[in-house]
Amino acid sequence: MRLRRDRRASHRPVMAAGAAFAMAIAASVLVVGNSVDNAVAASTTGVTSRQITLGATVPLTGPAAPGYSEIAPAMNAVFKWVNAHGGIYGRKIKYIYLDDKYDPTTTATLTRKLVLTDHIFADVGSLGTPTNLAVLKYLNTEKVPHLFIESGCNCWSTPKFPETTGWEPPYTVTGKILGYYMKNHFKGKKIGELYQDTEFGQDVMKGINMEVPASAVVSKQTYDVTTLSGAMTTQMSALKAAGAQVVVLATIPVGTALAMLPAAAIGFTPQYVVDNVGADAPTVGPLLSSFTTAATHTKKAAASATALMNGMITNLYQPPESTSSNQWIRVEKKILQRYTGKLWAQHGLDGNTEYGIALAYTFVQALKAAGKDLTRTSLMKAIDTKAKTFKTPGFSPLNYTNTVHYGYEGDEVVRFTSSVGTYKTPTGTWPGTKVLSPVYVTTTGSGPVKVYQGKEPAVPGTLKATA
Amino acid sequence: MELFVDILLSGVAQGMVFAAIALGLGLVSRATGIVNFAQGAMGMFTTFIAFSLLSHGVGYWPAFVAALALGAVLGAAVERTLIRPLQGKPALNPVIVTIGLLIVLEGVAGSIWGNVARGFPAAFSQRGLVIGRTRVAFSHFDVFLVCAVVVLVVAIVALFRWTNLGLRMRAAAFSPEVSRLLGVRVGRLFTLAWALACAAGSLAGLLVAPLSSFSPYYMDLNLVYGFTAAVLGGLLSPVGALAGGLVTGLSIAFVGGYVGPDLQPIAALALLLLVLMVRPQGLFGTSEVRRV
Repeated sequence: MRLRRDRRASHRPVMAAGAAFAMAIAASVLVVGNSVDNAVAASTTGVTSRQITLGATVPLTGPAAPGYSEIAPAMNAVFKWVNAHGGIYGRKIKYIYLDDKYDPTTTATLTRKLVLTDHIFADVGSLGTPTNLAVLKYLNTEKVPHLFIESGCNCWSTPKFPETTGWEPPYTVTGKILGYYMKNHFKGKKIGELYQDTEFGQDVMKGINMEVPASAVVSKQTYDVTTLSGAMTTQMSALKAAGAQVVVLATIPVGTALAMLPAAAIGFTPQYVVDNVGADAPTVGPLLSSFTTAATHTKKAAASATALMNGMITNLYQPPESTSSNQWIRVEKKILQRYTGKLWAQHGLDGNTEYGIALAYTFVQALKAAGKDLTRTSLMKAIDTKAKTFKTPGFSPLNYTNTVHYGYEGDEVVRFTSSVGTYKTPTGTWPGTKVLSPVYVTTTGSGPVKVYQGKEPAVPGTLKATA
Repeated sequence: MELFVDILLSGVAQGMVFAAIALGLGLVSRATGIVNFAQGAMGMFTTFIAFSLLSHGVGYWPAFVAALALGAVLGAAVERTLIRPLQGKPALNPVIVTIGLLIVLEGVAGSIWGNVARGFPAAFSQRGLVIGRTRVAFSHFDVFLVCAVVVLVVAIVALFRWTNLGLRMRAAAFSPEVSRLLGVRVGRLFTLAWALACAAGSLAGLLVAPLSSFSPYYMDLNLVYGFTAAVLGGLLSPVGALAGGLVTGLSIAFVGGYVGPDLQPIAALALLLLVLMVRPQGLFGTSEVRRV
């Protein structure tokens, strides 16, 4: 029954899209500027004079939920802050995020529901590569902005899908920057690779392998994320047997833990270089706490997890949660504390909640830049032309143009080390972060890795004053 | 060589966990003639209860024993309330019920403890033993794991072979009507079989949790491998379960180590197909006992 209704309903948007297309052509032939925008504004889907409706699909339950389920509620905290201060041009933000369990089929169903039933203005902050690939075409056909996807897949920036944009640095960019650092600091060392065998792991390794010499790589191991539940003993044994001195991980947080645990068990202690995705200490740490015996469980769990992560190298594109003096970090903590007390009590500011806040704040900037007469076109135009002026926590500017739909393209390389102090969250005490490199920028192509010359943006006064 | 030894040893440890699951599946199958798809989820649930106890300051061993006992209680309760009323109905009904139970338990666990993966402590050190001059992928905890499962198997074998209760359980499973006529309280014995099976499931859950991403779903794949082990071992024999577990554990470890970890589940399925084609009664089953 439901299936039939869905099918029938799907004709309507196709016709609507056709009509919209015809209108768009007519408009472009007439070359009418602002007046058309104004006229359309009155009837933009998901926008009224008092409200903007946004949607997203994220994993709230299921195997991919750990960590990732924190992002959407953190985003919502920013929207609540916006709403508490009068909204944007008088419009309050309603954010509907649905649980797709990281299952692309569910994503497709729920996204249609968001578009057809909830009449969202834009899909913002949906999580995952396979999940978003499943709705890429649909949202572009429907001309629904498909913004700030929570994935660094290289696939979000293509002229075929102008409504879609990424946000975090593309995986190949982070890979290149880590590879560049390794090339310069681990000369002559044997390098082993362990990566998730999906676009994520492949894209990171593509970047790494563009920088490090092929002769230095002694072993390449993979894992299958759909069946990941136990320790990766065989992979780590293979890396050990190959004599790897530096091990690069392109793993999700669970993967990082399931790699480091058996390695420690077999006395394999390489220098770890872990892609940002799987390197957030408060997320990975609790997974490592099993590396302790029962007798010492409660007391030493966190200590042993901290010891395992001590010395790990990773990359960051926004300030580490542990630098409590950073203005952005202060504001982010306040927003979490005030607008999503439960999340704050459970996780505090960790990599995931920080991610959500920064992403939502980027979107708020885009809404402001789009102006009072908000339409889907004006929003996309604001992102394509004004993103470089957005003030966000990112170290490097957002690089959106009408041809490039990646967001950040810069990272710095850091090391977790207790020597610079520790950082507390509700889940434990974690090593602090020591900066090892300047902020580097590069592209997904063969371009060089360059030192970014600009400055990190300061927190806007209004945000500081009202958060 | 080092790699070979590591793979071999981790295969043995994993195989033992599959053996414990296979044993539970076998006990239920023998008594009530169905496959309990909730076997893994029940072990997951009791392990989460142990986790709660641990985080409230209860010691490891009391929590460990409590989880096993609760496993038995849960098994008995499920048999009495969910499976018993379906007696005499098509065999598919209780099977569907166990699938439903799997989903419910994972959902309930998720809503109580959250869908967050975390660590679970081990009884003993997980640092590998040093053999010669290298540290191998076999720790004190793995030694305990192997011993625990072997003890369980021996206990079950002893129960069936040498005790009156075991004899009655076998009789009840073999021919419930005749046993009933002879005064055996068949229903109680089925409940007991479920209780034992789920205690075995709890043991598997406790043993595999420390080296897993401990979340409501961590037993799913283990159940698949455990099922492979059970079929391999002929479903009905405890020693068969042990052997099936070892063969499954070693097969997937070697496939993972030398071919590719993505192929591990496929290897398990291939093994399953092979056994069903060549020796459908399993390595240790006898064909007349087995009716599919």
